Amino acid sequence: MGNLTLEKLQDWSKQGHRTAFGEAMVLLGQDNSNVYVVTADTTPTARLTNFLKTFPDRLFDVGIAEQNLIDFSAGLAKEGLMPFAVTLAAFAPMRCAEQMRSAIGYMNLNAKVVGIEAGVRFGPLGNTHFAMDDLAVARALPNFTVLSPSDPHQIYKALFAAAELDGPVYIRLTGAPGFPILYPDDFEFKIGQAIEYRSGTDVAIIATGAVLAQAIGAADLLQEKGLSVRVIDMHTIKPLDKAILDSVFAENRLVVTVEEHSAIGGLGSAVAEYKAGFAQAPRQLMVNLGDRFQKVGSYEFQLQENGLTEPAIARLVEENLA
Amino acid sequence: MNTRTSIEKIREKAAAMRRDSIEMGYVAGSHGAHFGPALSSIEIVASLYFGVMNHNPQDPCMRERDRFVMSKGHACLSYYAALVEAGYLSREQMYTFKGDNSILPGHPSCHVEFGLEVATGSLGNGFAIACGMAMAAKIKNETHNVYCVLGDGECDEGLIWEAAMNAVKNKLDNLIAIVDRNSFQLAGKTTEIMDLDLAKIWQAFGWEVVIVEDGNDVASLLDALQAMQQSGSGKPHLIIAQTVKGKGISFMENNLGWHAAPINREQYEQAQSDLELV
Repeated sequence: MGNLTLEKLQDWSKQGHRTAFGEAMVLLGQDNSNVYVVTADTTPTARLTNFLKTFPDRLFDVGIAEQNLIDFSAGLAKEGLMPFAVTLAAFAPMRCAEQMRSAIGYMNLNAKVVGIEAGVRFGPLGNTHFAMDDLAVARALPNFTVLSPSDPHQIYKALFAAAELDGPVYIRLTGAPGFPILYPDDFEFKIGQAIEYRSGTDVAIIATGAVLAQAIGAADLLQEKGLSVRVIDMHTIKPLDKAILDSVFAENRLVVTVEEHSAIGGLGSAVAEYKAGFAQAPRQLMVNLGDRFQKVGSYEFQLQENGLTEPAIARLVEENLA
Repeated sequence: MNTRTSIEKIREKAAAMRRDSIEMGYVAGSHGAHFGPALSSIEIVASLYFGVMNHNPQDPCMRERDRFVMSKGHACLSYYAALVEAGYLSREQMYTFKGDNSILPGHPSCHVEFGLEVATGSLGNGFAIACGMAMAAKIKNETHNVYCVLGDGECDEGLIWEAAMNAVKNKLDNLIAIVDRNSFQLAGKTTEIMDLDLAKIWQAFGWEVVIVEDGNDVASLLDALQAMQQSGSGKPHLIIAQTVKGKGISFMENNLGWHAAPINREQYEQAQSDLELV
């Protein structure tokens, strides 16, 4: 685990994904002197103040200007530096999708885009600050790898893995303060290789991001009722791990995808697109944010409204396995 | 420094680039080409490639090369023509313009090994990327300059101004941008579509601004470019080169119909005969 201690993970878990991100960036910055950060008036929001203090010459704030956030980063990457462009997932990729496509994607530049507070965690702030579409947008950009880590430890691993990969990466971050540590011990994180969190033969729940915790909780409830539940952590949305899906389609009776994202273009869509090529494959149920703007309310309220809770996921599986 | 010989040499290159541009536009057939905005920029691009920039066609990826970004990517004919005349692209490659599997589409793609530095065409992006490249040179203590040609219509893009203020903040005095002020954009005169007092706005954003009254005159352009190189103001530099859209081809000059259009045999021959008179 290198510089990463369990104590640190516990603190990150308590503070939420932004702290995990900002502090992991300090460790990454120490590990790799070519790592730069570009923000759009988001340095404190993304908990990058410590990074700025540690590396005052390696963080640039372009102001509230997301298009330039991406193109400025593209210019740095063009000249061999490795920028991490950081803002709310509500604004990148959506507000600068064209720059991500035409500059970073088209020239296949070694630049990373990080969307913090993806999903609906900003519940009371309203729909302008939700990112329900970021996976759909990022997936549609050629050359982009798309990551969606599930816990504080995986955020750290995903950032280091993104830095190892020579090319464009979008990293979607979720996880409210108190999001659990799902990987307390060192583990292998490989881009494009999902993690079989738990094995099982009846249903396979495939989740991405911090709602993996809800998927695991649902699996616990179902196991109490005697069902055998497989849980897969699909931390890489693109490229999709087809090998693990092959085994799911062959071995499980029901597939359930779980994500804090629109019904269109995210994990559920990616799995369904691949499954379309199979003559024989199990049914797929999708738990997601639907195709609608959300009501305003607390994060817990948002998750409940969308069936993204342990009992709701468990109930859905039970109803459909009968 | 600008001897009559060096100016004359650049003028000859510009004349050859105009001929190349017409050739490429002609082989594109019914696909047509953006003749007007390319022809206005010929002297700007020629002055950079044959008078100002440090570059080496034998070593296109040379670390210390000056960088060139054609932000108004639709004007790629003048860019490709400069690369042909400088020796980055062969004449065979030139004749693939807009062809199947060509590396020379109607808006530049990125192939540094052929001198094609940055993929552009979606307006505003090239300039903003150029600002990032200039920043990278500062970070790495590299002494090369970044030159960027943008369109006057392109200055309508919000991204231009996002990048312009950030360039001032970071004191990117290694960045020299040239606006090809041909006073037309796709749908009309710039005064009709979006009337901007470019000099005033760029100055207000904190750029050092110079106006070149005749942006198709090589000597004037060289004077402005060299003044910017030596200015020491600590600011990013902007040259507003007042040019003629479609410059050099009688029926294309100041004719909006030639912003982008196919050229037929008769027009092609007329263009050739116009160029012989130069």
